This record gives sequence, C-alpha cells and structure tokens, in this order.
Amino acid sequence: MEQGNAIEVKNISKSYKIYYDKSNTLKDKVLFKNRSHYEEREILQDLSFSVKKGEAVGLIGHNGCGKSTTLKLLTRIIYPNKGEIQTEGRVSSLLELGAGFHPDMTGRENIYINASIFGLNKKEIDSRINEIIKFSELEEFIDNPVRTYSSGMYMRLAFSVAINVNADILLIDEILAVGDSNFQLKCAKKMQELKRAGITIVIVSHSMGQIEELCDRCIWLDKGKIVAEGTPQYVHKLYLEFMGQVRTERSEKERQLAEEAKNLELSIPKVECKNNKGESRVAFEIGEDINITLHYKIKKPRNVSVQFTVFRSDYMMCYDSRTDAQKQKVLLKGEGVMQLQLKSVQLLLGHYMIDFAFYTEEGHLINSFERICQFDVYNETTEKGMFRMNHEWNF
Amino acid sequence: MKELYDYRTMIASLVKRDLIGRYKKSVLGFLWSFIDPLLQLLIYTFLFSVILKTDIPAFHICLFVTLVPWLLISSCLTGGCMSVIGQQEMLKKIYFPREILPISFVTAQFVNMVLSFVVVFVILAVSGYGFHLPALLTLPVIMIIEFILALGLTLLCSAVTVYFRDMQQILAALSLLLMYASPIVYTLDFVSENIRKFYMWNPITRILVAYRDILYYKKFPDAINIFWGIVESIIILIIGMLVFRKLSKNFAEEL
Repeated sequence: MEQGNAIEVKNISKSYKIYYDKSNTLKDKVLFKNRSHYEEREILQDLSFSVKKGEAVGLIGHNGCGKSTTLKLLTRIIYPNKGEIQTEGRVSSLLELGAGFHPDMTGRENIYINASIFGLNKKEIDSRINEIIKFSELEEFIDNPVRTYSSGMYMRLAFSVAINVNADILLIDEILAVGDSNFQLKCAKKMQELKRAGITIVIVSHSMGQIEELCDRCIWLDKGKIVAEGTPQYVHKLYLEFMGQVRTERSEKERQLAEEAKNLELSIPKVECKNNKGESRVAFEIGEDINITLHYKIKKPRNVSVQFTVFRSDYMMCYDSRTDAQKQKVLLKGEGVMQLQLKSVQLLLGHYMIDFAFYTEEGHLINSFERICQFDVYNETTEKGMFRMNHEWNF
Repeated sequence: MKELYDYRTMIASLVKRDLIGRYKKSVLGFLWSFIDPLLQLLIYTFLFSVILKTDIPAFHICLFVTLVPWLLISSCLTGGCMSVIGQQEMLKKIYFPREILPISFVTAQFVNMVLSFVVVFVILAVSGYGFHLPALLTLPVIMIIEFILALGLTLLCSAVTVYFRDMQQILAALSLLLMYASPIVYTLDFVSENIRKFYMWNPITRILVAYRDILYYKKFPDAINIFWGIVESIIILIIGMLVFRKLSKNFAEEL
C-alpha cells in the first residue's frame, strides 16, 4: 500500500449470480442438479481507485451503477471475484444502524452490544459512553428498555453509536434522515467535525449538495466503471448534463404520445432549452441566460395569457408570473413558437422544473403543462441555498 | 486469530445478550436454565428405573452426569446450526469476523452447562452420593475438551446450513441418533466388546465416559481415552474452522 493512502482498490471485478428460482433444499440439489438457472450479472468491471488519509470522497451514479456494491466491498461484507482491496485502520459503516439491538435491554446495555459489534473493547466503550448518550439526547431514557423507544429515538441512539466509534474510515450510504431537523443539523456538523479530525470518508449519495458540502473529490460510476473523477463541482456538472439528456429523451417521447392521443385544443409538442450561443443544454451555470422555446399548435386563433411557475426538485416554488398581470396581449394561431428568456438566472445548485399554463382572456384555464421544461443549475462556488443574493461587504 | 481477540468484547456482549435476553420477560427467568435439565432427568429416570427397571445402581446420578454435558452437544447441533442464519440481518449489513456468531453461541450454551453443573453438584451433595475430590480437579479439563468439540461441530454445521437448509432437519435427526449411540441412558458395560472398538471412536462418547468416571464412578478418568478425546476434538475444530473460513466469504450473498 502506498504511503498516505487509507483505501486502495485495485482492478476489482464483482458479479452476482442472479438465480431464477433459487433453492437450497436437498430435493432440489439432488434431483435438479443441473437445473439451477442463473445469470451472471457483472456489477463492477476492473475498478481501481484510491483514497488518501483524511480525504472525503463521494460516489455518484444512477441506480444499479455499482456504487453501493463498492461500499459493501469496502466494508468486507462481500468479497470481489477479482482484484484486491486494502484498507488501513478501523472501518465503520453507517450502512446498518442498531445492529444487534435487543428490545428488552436498556439503551445503555444496547450501546455496549452495538459498539462491540463495531469492534470496540469494553474500555473504549466506557470512555465514550457519556459522549454517545449526550449526542443521542436520550439521557432521561437511557436506562429504559429499547422497546419503549419511539422509532425516532431508536434511530437516534443507533446513529449516535455508529458515529462515535472513532473509526479511521467512515463509509456512508446516503446520509440518513434521522430524527428531527435539529438532530439532522447536528449530524451534518458532526460529519464536518469528523472530517476536520482527519477521518477518511467515503459517501454514496444522490444528493449533490451533500457531496459538495463534505467531499474533496467525487467519482462518477456507470455500469461498474469510472466515468469521471475530480472536484465535486466539476463531476456534478458532467453528471447533471448526462442525466438531463437521458431524461429529456425519455420524457419528450412520452409527452408527444400523450398529447396526440388527447387531441388537445392547445398542445406543446416540443420544448427546447438553449444557452445564449444557441446550444441545447440541460444544465446551466449560475448567471447564464436560459432561453426556452415552446413550439405550440392551437386549433383556432385565440388571445391568451400565459403563466409560468418555476419549482425546485422538492416542489419548492421559486417564481411564478402571468402575462396578463403585465397587461401583455398574446395572440396564438395555428403553429408557431414562443420564447421565454430567463435572464442571468440566479438560482443555486439544484434541479428545477417549469410548469406552463394557458388561460383565456376571461381567465379560464385552457390547458396546463406540468414540468415540461426541466434543467439543472450548478455553481462552481461554495455558495449554498436557493438563489444567489447579490451582496456586498464593507469593512 | 488476532482479529477475534480484538472483537472479544463483541463475543462477551453477544453471550450476555443471549443469556440475559433469553429469559428477560419470563416469570421464572434464569431458573429455566436449571429446570430444563431437571425435567429431562425426571422423564428419563421415570422411563428407565420405573418402567424399564434398569439394574444400574443410582441410575439417576449415572444419567444426570452425562445428560447435562450431552445437552450442550445437542443444542450445538440443533440450535448452533442456525447461529449464522439467525443473525443474517446483522451479517448482511456490517463487517465483523463471522466466526464470532458460532463462538458466542457455543460460549453461551457452555455457560449454561456450567450453571447446570451447579444443580448436579447440589444433587450429589444432598443425596449423600459424595465426590472424589482429587478426580474432580480434572473436570475443568474435560469441560474444555467438550467446548473445543462443541465449537468445531457448531462452526461446521452453521456454515453448511447457510448453503444447505435441510441440514437443520438432518441434524435434529442425527442428534437423536447420537444420543442413543452415546453412553447416556446406559453404561459402557452394555456395549459388547466387538462393537466397542468402533463405538469408542465417537469423541462424544470419550467425553461422556470421562464425565461419568469422575462423578459417578468417583475415579480418575482414563488418560488414553482423554488423549484421543483431545486429538479428535481438535481435528474436528480445525476442520470446522477451515470449512467455516472458506464458506463464510459468501455468506452475505447467499442469505
């Protein structure tokens, strides 16, 4: 192992046997010896990477790309078919919380059981137990049996043990949503603290925000291979563009089919998102203009008003506006295009969706189109939140 | 091996969880550890001294000193084979040396047996049967040999059962067979000379004979018998460890 590395993964391959009808009984083994049908599914192919001590690395990729398998291999729950993995120091994973908890035993007794499964000895647990109890905020209940706990309390206790075992390498599969928002904030802070303390962290997440917040480096896996590797901001830009393309191709088709079938009075067969250079894009950098072109078809000419609403992926409404509010008259006839230019978009990292709705002059809804335009925004700065607030400091 | 030592606290806490957790909500609690062997003793004594009218003197003592150690072996065969499968949730999610599961199972059962021996001693003392004190000092050695044998068997059975679930039923039947193939409800005198050559190669027999020598016949156990008992038990332990190590790599995928 190279000096200064905490994890070294060398040319590992992993495949699972997927049985069509798995059986482990004597009858089947003897009678149908050769009838075990299975398919060999390759999850990882010749994967290599290394993680330095104290580094935080994020793994991203769509479902089934092999990121969780990689994490399982690192924890040594499963073993690779080929290649080797070396790790240095104690490995702890936040994959399983509350391993070995016994419902009839008290919180305190269960801390001992759970922590011992992480490989701590009695002395080490004794020295940490107060910290663990304090972190879990369960001081009052710690000597009650765990079966009397609410599920939130149970998870809080389990999480507190897992995060306080002082591992050298911490593996996390999706930062867990444990407890109320206060407790979550505390967990996020604890992660930062662990990172500053020089603990090596490998995290699998779908939340780019979490990875950008915590990680120094990000690895994008697809079909068991590394597609890109680098700073989270750089990798996320590539990833979002790729995912956006996959998504628009799919939803474009679905929408066309649906609308043709319905034979609507007003339809929008095509939506395009372009940057100022006229290039089609699905991801934009903060501050860029987003030019949206809507291709429409209408049965008879009409004066309408148009509404557009911007949502973030969690359905937080970011902006909403209607043309009639500005006394703008819109006449639509036959087939044509309309363009919406969002100037110098100040939204921060995230996935955004736009709904369009069309109303008659009297204000009756003609048709609405939900989420027909979707795009991602990224920023290569460290700003966080929903949108950029233009500000200035004076000292 | 070193790793197992690092995880000693885990073994200790699993044993504790097993022993305390098992009776946590039952009324009689820990007393069940004593009641269970006593009930079996009652049944067999009734069967053999009242109905079958055996002429073995002090039959209940003769039976009890082998029944208690036998119950350890039997629970390791029938229950120990599930010690890995039973913890599959833990096994699929977290790393620890897999050997810990069978080790802590056997240890918990062993502690249970040692506690049952308290009852054995009480009966020996109260009934006035008495002890041979110097021979009694060799008893811990026999117990350790039995622990080695039980551990070897449990490692072997628990690993194989993961891949081959029928093992559980097979072992239940095998355990019944072994009970009558070992000197528990009868003494060695009932076994004819020409069979005894094969009969003695059963390591369980060697161990039970040693228990009976010390507590029932009140004499030192046969050194040659103990020697072969140690050899056989260690061979079984080594086989168990090798098989377990080989099979444990794929536990998480098989379960």
